[in-house]
Amino acid sequence: MADYSKKRFLVIDDLPLAREALRIVAQTMGAFAVEFASNYQDAIYRIRNNTPDIILCDYMLGDGRSGQQMLEELRRFNLLPDETIFMMVTGEQSYEQVVSAVELVPDDYIIKPFSPEKLMLRLERIVAKKNFFAKYYKEKRQQEYTAALATLQAQRDSEAGRPYRFETLRQQAEVLLASGDATSAETSYRSILEHYDFPWARAGVARSLQKQNRLSEARAEIDRVVAGVPHFFDAADIKASICMAQGEHAEAQKVLDEVAKKTPRNYLRKRLLAEAATLNGDSETARAAMADVIANDTMPGAISAADRLAAARSQINAGDKISAERVLLGMRESEVQNMNLDEQASFAALLAISSPEKGKPRFLGLRPALIATALNAGTRLDILRAALDTGDHPLADRQTETLMASEEAKKVFGSIRTHYALHGRETDFREIQKQVALKRIQHHDGPTETKTDGNTASGQHQ
Amino acid sequence: MRPLLDILASGIHDAKNQLFIAESQIAAREAELQIDLSEARYAIETAADRLSRTLAAYRLLRDDARLAVVPANIADLCDEIALEQGKHLSAAGIHLSVDCQAFDEWPLDRELVTDMLNNAVQNAGRFARSQIRLSAHFALDGLTLRVEDDGPGYSSLPPKNGIGLMVGKRLAELHVRQNRHGTLQLRNGSALGGAIFELSLP
Repeated sequence: MADYSKKRFLVIDDLPLAREALRIVAQTMGAFAVEFASNYQDAIYRIRNNTPDIILCDYMLGDGRSGQQMLEELRRFNLLPDETIFMMVTGEQSYEQVVSAVELVPDDYIIKPFSPEKLMLRLERIVAKKNFFAKYYKEKRQQEYTAALATLQAQRDSEAGRPYRFETLRQQAEVLLASGDATSAETSYRSILEHYDFPWARAGVARSLQKQNRLSEARAEIDRVVAGVPHFFDAADIKASICMAQGEHAEAQKVLDEVAKKTPRNYLRKRLLAEAATLNGDSETARAAMADVIANDTMPGAISAADRLAAARSQINAGDKISAERVLLGMRESEVQNMNLDEQASFAALLAISSPEKGKPRFLGLRPALIATALNAGTRLDILRAALDTGDHPLADRQTETLMASEEAKKVFGSIRTHYALHGRETDFREIQKQVALKRIQHHDGPTETKTDGNTASGQHQ
Repeated sequence: MRPLLDILASGIHDAKNQLFIAESQIAAREAELQIDLSEARYAIETAADRLSRTLAAYRLLRDDARLAVVPANIADLCDEIALEQGKHLSAAGIHLSVDCQAFDEWPLDRELVTDMLNNAVQNAGRFARSQIRLSAHFALDGLTLRVEDDGPGYSSLPPKNGIGLMVGKRLAELHVRQNRHGTLQLRNGSALGGAIFELSLP
């Protein structure tokens, strides 16, 4: 039996009596120290300052927040080591529906009322599980993916691993995806589906297919999940991201609009909504979503340079260059200094668009780097806009050419066409498209994914 | 109707929260005064189970019933039933033994299956003379969970008291894997001499 006299508990519940009940249960078990958090912010603050050993978190936290969101946010900010126990406490059977669907699950969940003995039994098992996976957790944290996968494989085939069969398969698939081996990740998720059609495993298949740029297949899988489990909101996020890659921006926005209404305080989803709305040409929605994110995502460090750039972009799209300029110039010098190359390029481009006299010199100074470096599709889109604005046609056309030849051609096609049209250069755009298609046919290196999705410039349907 | 379900669910949720507060306070007194109030706690847990079961029955009998299937550790599930029922049964002179031969995780609706087995053990407790056995093993077509007792057995088969059995059968049937459905069977002729409650999940 684990020794609870050395363990620090954190009880998260918005109702005082329920908190008290959980404290009693923990103390009856012999807990060394029991801390409380009465709300979301307080809980995050405590976990950040001094990670507890065991977190007992109520599913309903009030104020539009749920324990599931807390769990997701803790993972997102890397505040929850694998060694820490996170137990969801709920009086609701509805949480089971959530936990059976989602990819990100707590160590366990327990339904009220429960006795100290029952909680102890559950915690014992989690401790045993954590011990079983201890080596793997360490390797994963150090990003030693090969070692982590070898550890999982050995454990999967061991007798002691029998009670953790699904957890092992799930971890294998996640590590494979994180390490960039999407094909093996897909195989892993499919082997889980052979046992049982878990929504989270099918969503995993969809994510793996998307990484392989097999978009139509990915879409078919995720459509199936969304239709079967409408309360699995993360599946809607995955669907939206696949739709965007397919160039179906209206559908992406529609899907996100619906779930964002049900989860108004999920700011990662709001960011995704802003991205979809931007691609969809709905600048007002994008602007409102980014304004909401910047005003209300109060996690320390949550608002990144990328968020401010997205906000500025949404304002430019909405025709408000003054606000865009204010956002860009309002960024702290240290923040600007610490930006990666993509962000620096976007910063320069967006500033050149919103305030030519202040932004153009910086943008021109970066020009050689912008041509020589590999950049993200979103960054290239910013650059080509600024280049079109400043009349630098060679730079713009070069970005367009690269984008149209890339795997993300479908995603950015509509935006590029719009910008060329704004500058009266539709014919030039079509010519670039044609050249890219010709080059592709000449080279014809024929990777399978281009066949599957017809992801070529000439394959675009307008 | 969805609103009705929401009203029921929220009422039951609140009631269970209250019961949890009551149970934790009893547990605190037990620890503080070194006394045994486990029967009071058992009554509270049983009341909460009853509430959950009522809501679950209502949900399961609807057309849009949906299970929450998770990979479950069968040995743990059996241990929890023993923890919840064992002490109460032994106060009545009945020994509950557990024989779990299913060592792998298995996909099932953990809470509903646990509750159904708790219910089956409670029923067996009303008829058993001195023994109940809860067992689990893998058969060719999936997982078999069984509750047996040494009582007189079912007086008529199938038993006449409808609703519990109907809900149980529905729960079994909703477990689908590779196009096969779960089944629930009640029969007599246990090795212990009495009734057998047998849930098979594909």
